[in-house]
Amino acid sequence: MANVVLENLAKIYAEGDTEEVRAVNGINLSVEKGEFLAIVGPSGSGKSTLLNLIGCLDVPTSGHVFIDGVDTQGLNEKELTRIRREKVGFVFQDFNLLPVLNAFENVILPLRYLKVAGHERERRAKEALDLVSLSNRSKSRPSQLSGGERQRVAIARALITNPSLVLADEPTGELDTVNTCRIIEVMRELNDKLNQTFAIVTHDPMVAGYTRRIVTLRDGSVESDLSQQPADLHCDDKPSI
Amino acid sequence: MLKVILRNMWRRKARTFLTVFGIVVGIFALTVLGGLSARLTQQVKGAKSWFTNSISIVPTGGSLFGGGENQFFTLSKVQEVQNVPGVKEAIAGIGLLVKSSQTFSLGAPDLIIGLDLSRSQDLLKQLHVDKGRGLTSGDRGKVLLGSTLANKLGAQVGGTVDLRGRQFEVVGILQPTLAAPDTFAFVSYKDALELFFKANPFITRGQPITSVIYATWDKGANPEVVSNRISRQVSGVRVISPKEAEKQISQFSLIFNAILFGIAFIALVVGGLSIINTMVMSVSERTKEIGLKRAIGADTRTILGEYLLESSVIGLLGGLIGMGVGLLAILLLNDATKSNNVTVFAISWLVVVGPVIFATVLGTLAGIFPALRASRLRPVESLRED
Repeated sequence: MANVVLENLAKIYAEGDTEEVRAVNGINLSVEKGEFLAIVGPSGSGKSTLLNLIGCLDVPTSGHVFIDGVDTQGLNEKELTRIRREKVGFVFQDFNLLPVLNAFENVILPLRYLKVAGHERERRAKEALDLVSLSNRSKSRPSQLSGGERQRVAIARALITNPSLVLADEPTGELDTVNTCRIIEVMRELNDKLNQTFAIVTHDPMVAGYTRRIVTLRDGSVESDLSQQPADLHCDDKPSI
Repeated sequence: MLKVILRNMWRRKARTFLTVFGIVVGIFALTVLGGLSARLTQQVKGAKSWFTNSISIVPTGGSLFGGGENQFFTLSKVQEVQNVPGVKEAIAGIGLLVKSSQTFSLGAPDLIIGLDLSRSQDLLKQLHVDKGRGLTSGDRGKVLLGSTLANKLGAQVGGTVDLRGRQFEVVGILQPTLAAPDTFAFVSYKDALELFFKANPFITRGQPITSVIYATWDKGANPEVVSNRISRQVSGVRVISPKEAEKQISQFSLIFNAILFGIAFIALVVGGLSIINTMVMSVSERTKEIGLKRAIGADTRTILGEYLLESSVIGLLGGLIGMGVGLLAILLLNDATKSNNVTVFAISWLVVVGPVIFATVLGTLAGIFPALRASRLRPVESLRED
């Protein structure tokens, strides 16, 4: 069964108005479990909107989003929250860590919402921080971490619930080349190890080059959908900033 | 959870401090006034228990404390009251202020009460003598003092005190009741009458008068029925039944409690609005955080709960500090007035717990609107916020 299936998906703002914007305009797409794909396209092509629709953060104007075979059309807010909580992990461009929590507490947060028991929570948070090689910074607040470290914390947070789908919106948008490479490296490792689906919205051709499939959007529609052999990663060994 | 909330509050130290301080001021006022009210309630309760033991009959226009110094009636009225069926004893009495120029006092004033001792033993039995003895029939120049008044006058059993220029031998001192009888000096009717004539020289001497008649009732008789009967059968009198006495005394505390409610209301409005304001600001500042939490799986109830808890913590904090400072003020003020034998404040569990609960509930209620706002934010839109 496909992990994500989109059927005639559309998101239209100010529908019927002269200012009508068709942010996503009839997209059909199928993503298998364990894929590592990039969604690219010029700004305003509907990348982020599409990602939000797949992640059930936003509801489509028409069409369907199936997550692991479940049609999300017509689900209420509570049911959508449940899908986000159980099936999806989010990584954002500006990290979105809670400033009052340290790395460990940020990572553990989704498990709190999942009502996982305390000791189990802590074990999994340690594990997740280990996966992104940040065990030594678990007590640091976001303000004490570098950009690359913050994004690794955010990835650990997205992975801790063991979601079937990780959605990343410009995850390297605020990082330099070395850290961008490292983040992609971490994501690819995790993709290999845990077989979770990664969908990464990016406008960085280098990032797209490291993925196995590139979906290009233009004006809310799929312009091209190509599979490729991913480029090899050679991140510099310079210490991260 | 609580840790996160405290850290969020700490993140905006100045604002949190100001909001909490606003509540502290209101709760401080509430606590201090609560202490005052508790003390008044004590006195009212004690006054009730004394004044509702008998029916008071005063000249038309007189009050509970007797006819005052210018209103009185002749002793023949005592017999008229005595003749009313259901009346057990009609006791001639005279009420006089201990100081001719007593200023405002909280609760009952310092009062000399002259009673016909041969007939008032039933009434006097209600008083509990701490030291010495009670008054007996035929005592002259003797006084039975309430505990506060005894302290104020520096009286000792066996010693003498000066009441309106006359020396009285102290035969007994009453147990403290924290209420009206504490400030009373009981003497014989005849002694009180002499003081009364001395204070009011224009009244023809020798004509036996009384400013108040206390009537007790036969066992099994309804005092309200007896009171009605007295007012119907005896002319020119005002009859204050136990029920009415209670009503009159309650009015003292009623006014005071109205003030107390006023302060509570102001605290409610001011404190409530400042909490609402702070919380609305927190919600708009943290819109993005809320969006993030929703994205990673927090449902609307969780967000609602977080914000409600935060505002009730602000309320609780303000309540605890305000109550603590208020309590401290009460203790210091009580200590300062101790040397004057005045207790202005009382501390009851209600004075301590009431304001804290009030503040916490206030905080929670004030948080409802901002919390609802936070929980209803749409995840995508809040994430887009900067």
